[in-house]
Amino acid sequence: MVKRKPGLVQNRYRRDTVDHGGRLRVVGVSFLNAQPLLHGLLSGLADDRMHVELAEPAELARRLFEDEADVALSPVAPLATHGGLEIVPGCAIGCDGAVESVKLVGDCPIEEADEILLDAASRTSVVLARLIVRHLRAGKAEPRYCARPAREIVATVGGKTAGLLIGDIALETRGKFRYEIDLGQAWKELTGLPFVFAVWAARPGVVSARDAPLFTSSLEAGLAARPQLAQAWARGHGGDAEAHLAYLNDRIRYQLDERALAGLCEFLRRAAEAKLLPVTELSFVGQDKPAFSPQRASVDSLLDYAADGGRLSFQDAMRLASEADTHELGLAADARRRTLHPEGVVTYIVDRNVNYTNVCTTSCRFCAFYRPVGHEEGYVLTREQLTQKIEETVAAGGVQILLQGGLNPALHLEWYEDLFRWIKATFPIKLHALSPEEIWHLVRLEDLTVQDVLTRLRAAGLDSLPGGGAEVLTDRVRAKIAKAKCTSAEWLEVMRVAHRIGMRTTATMMFGTADTQADRVLHMLKVRELQDETGGFTAFIAWDYQHDVGTRQVAGETGTVLYLRTQALSRLVLDNVPNIQTSWVTQGPGIGQIGLRYGANDMGSTMFEENVVSSAGTTFGMDAAQIERHARALGFKVAQRNMRYERLTVPA
Amino acid sequence: MTARTAGTLDAIEAKLQAGERLSYDDGCALFLEPDFLRLGMLANQVREDKHGDRTFFNVNMRFEATNVCEASCSFCAFAKLKEGAAGAHTTTHEAAWKELAEHPDPRLTELHMVNGLHPTLPFEWYEELLRGWKRVRPGVHLKCFTGVEIHFFAQKFGMTHEAVLTRLRAAGLGSLPGGGAEILHPDVRQRIATDKANGDEYLAAHRAAHKLGIPSNCTMLYGHIETFEHRVDHLLRLRDLQDETQGFQCFIPLAFHNENNSLRKLPEPTAVDSLRTLAISRLLLDNIPHIKAYWVSMGVPTAQIALRFGADDLDGTIIHESIYHSAGSRAPMALSRDELVRLIREAGRIPVERDTIYGVVEELPRAAVPEGALKVRDRMARKRSLALAGN
Ligand code: SF4
Ligand code: SF4
Repeated sequence: MVKRKPGLVQNRYRRDTVDHGGRLRVVGVSFLNAQPLLHGLLSGLADDRMHVELAEPAELARRLFEDEADVALSPVAPLATHGGLEIVPGCAIGCDGAVESVKLVGDCPIEEADEILLDAASRTSVVLARLIVRHLRAGKAEPRYCARPAREIVATVGGKTAGLLIGDIALETRGKFRYEIDLGQAWKELTGLPFVFAVWAARPGVVSARDAPLFTSSLEAGLAARPQLAQAWARGHGGDAEAHLAYLNDRIRYQLDERALAGLCEFLRRAAEAKLLPVTELSFVGQDKPAFSPQRASVDSLLDYAADGGRLSFQDAMRLASEADTHELGLAADARRRTLHPEGVVTYIVDRNVNYTNVCTTSCRFCAFYRPVGHEEGYVLTREQLTQKIEETVAAGGVQILLQGGLNPALHLEWYEDLFRWIKATFPIKLHALSPEEIWHLVRLEDLTVQDVLTRLRAAGLDSLPGGGAEVLTDRVRAKIAKAKCTSAEWLEVMRVAHRIGMRTTATMMFGTADTQADRVLHMLKVRELQDETGGFTAFIAWDYQHDVGTRQVAGETGTVLYLRTQALSRLVLDNVPNIQTSWVTQGPGIGQIGLRYGANDMGSTMFEENVVSSAGTTFGMDAAQIERHARALGFKVAQRNMRYERLTVPA
Repeated sequence: MTARTAGTLDAIEAKLQAGERLSYDDGCALFLEPDFLRLGMLANQVREDKHGDRTFFNVNMRFEATNVCEASCSFCAFAKLKEGAAGAHTTTHEAAWKELAEHPDPRLTELHMVNGLHPTLPFEWYEELLRGWKRVRPGVHLKCFTGVEIHFFAQKFGMTHEAVLTRLRAAGLGSLPGGGAEILHPDVRQRIATDKANGDEYLAAHRAAHKLGIPSNCTMLYGHIETFEHRVDHLLRLRDLQDETQGFQCFIPLAFHNENNSLRKLPEPTAVDSLRTLAISRLLLDNIPHIKAYWVSMGVPTAQIALRFGADDLDGTIIHESIYHSAGSRAPMALSRDELVRLIREAGRIPVERDTIYGVVEELPRAAVPEGALKVRDRMARKRSLALAGN
């Protein structure tokens, strides 16, 4: 019997929960400290009940959230981010005092650093580090946090720049830095409690009472086999078997007992208080009552919490999406918008969307715009055509060109570089160009890295990236509607790199195809997570799929009501993204206007043309005067802005 | 939010919960209420108390027998002054009958006709038009002639309203559409519609219809030169007549469109004004059962969200609309029955196909929505009953 918690959004979206033969899909990770937990399972202890796989650490939570796994050896931060997972009792990866593999390092005392570089691979450790730093600085302003790859951190730490190191690299760099804070030790000093880094986390209701003890048995076998595991690790990954064994024996604590649980609850409580993680409750497999429960039981209190800027979990967002009235969501989002933008100013940009080519190799099902290579209606805009369009834009007071197109294999990186240099040398205009899909296209075409492509394009004059082509950032949906497109992780990676080299970008979501509410919330969470890491997104824009002539994708969950609910929800979930745009181009001026009361503070752009949408039959036009009239009719002041959301006119 | 406005909405909410009728001052205050979402929420509550999630639509067609009109309303882009003028058009009986006979939808239940005030067509011509329609498709309800037309016939042919209506009913008339109300207050009406039925005459025509048992609808054309006070006044005039006769089935707010008419320079009302007006209508017109979000006038997206701002009717499939489209409406010319059903379902409502007099033709199941969506209404209802108990 599958037990469900009351009030829990049941996972009706679950595809095959169990793999062939009714087995649970279990995912572990290839870390030294995870070996004892996995040992029994990997040696066939439960082969008839479970299908066990190893995955990249960053994949664990994603698989669990997106229902590609039933149980994962997950870091604890995703427990809060999801909010509806269950913990398999008995075992964990934790420490009681020094752990050695998670540490802050620097050339100066850590509390004096101005900047701390984070290895963003483990959100749990990042949150722990921030809590410890906050404590050490005792009320002083926070340092600047920047995400960096681990090797770069080791190379960069020095002066007033400190770093967070996790895993092997932390063990390898023992004694290399003048100042080190072992975060296990620091946590113990702060709270007197053990710390829990990871647990077996399960999707609700999938682990039966019969299966749960198998995880403990696996651990028991693993604990007994520690010497062999340490030796095997040294053979496979290098290092000293003795040191590995000492680490497993003396540093890692595998019991999830009362004290460990107290440490976990304390961590989640402090992280929620610091608004680093959503407030969450903890539940165990096979228990009816949550082990730890915040004061946020009703939808009303959840709405208040969200309107106050409280961080929402997956579960919270799902609950609001399904149980809050449309007006209530609007009111909460409106309250939140007012806190973030208290002056009551709505902004918009005068720019023009230019589709430089409609030739595309991708053939997305929802797209009526593209033409295959060799098609007689395929075009690439000439310099003359571009000149005319850009001159018109400048004449109309435009400050930016949004340049997007199909994935045309005839256009190489040099073509773009020449084009960008020419545009920037000829016209006084900013370039907001090339969505991640187009960047990946160039990466593959030229066999370069994302960073190379972006750096070269930026040098040629690219100012910022549009967040298009995100559709819905779960691979299940992307595979259905745009098979040939980049994966969600790849989409996010372009944004990560762009932000890291100093470009700002937007993020979009086109829903209403193969997506469910769960996919839409997961999309928002992915954007929020990357935004935590980089802070590079200026705005979020959602719209529903405009099903019409020329598209092959059938419409899924669409409509004005859902659009407004989704936009309001995005304002609440994306607590770290400053601006929400209404998409009046797809929804029409009326709903664009109404959207300003459902969380949005920006009317996007005046849009001379938008071929991808208008080829599918939806054409709405508003000039600056109309945009302003619509916003003012709701009592807002209006100002023009640039892509960085700097105001170019005095609000009026 | 200032204390005053909070007080206003709170006071009005308390009145509504106590079942008290809203006053002229309440109506004016609501038009100035900045908390537009809470206003929508109140209207939605009233709508759900009256109809739950049920949302009505019908399968209808539009017909305009003539666009030749003696009057010259300044907002009208439809009428042509004279027969023979460019674009002037008057149907023949045969063409009109054929159009109904050949209407492709077997589910058609209503023919909706509104015309210009033609200077020379004899009364018998209209009677014969209706009779012919009844002969070709007797099952289709004829919702024809606005109060303005009825009054025009009465004057032109020297009859009383009752006499006009009695003869038309004998010819097949089923009910009156709500058009021609514009703004009833004389200060406005004299400026935009000088040479047709005045406000009292419009109401008199409807009163006569109701007394004869002929149901009708009523409308308001908003967003041109009128003030909020004129709108409230208009709504209360309708409410007063309804108290007297109970003959109005539905109220339809109509947004002013500004193309091809002499009020081109005026901006059109925006969606927020449309939703606000619709919500306030729902709150003030406590005695009129239905409020329609006429998608041809407000646009399909706004009409859909209007189903959560007080509206419980989306009008019909409407093939062949020309009054609004002459004035620049960008709404599609027709929606299929499936599209209407989908619009209603997407708004979380239950589609109910009705006939003209709100008889149920077919009640369709609601959409397969995530289970939580149903909890929303239960929870809102519970909140409301708690609030009631608290009073
Ligand atoms: S959406 Fe973009 S990538 Fe997909 S077919 Fe259209 S132009 Fe190509
Ligand atoms: S609104 Fe009616 S009465 Fe006025 S001009 Fe137009 S058709 Fe004639």
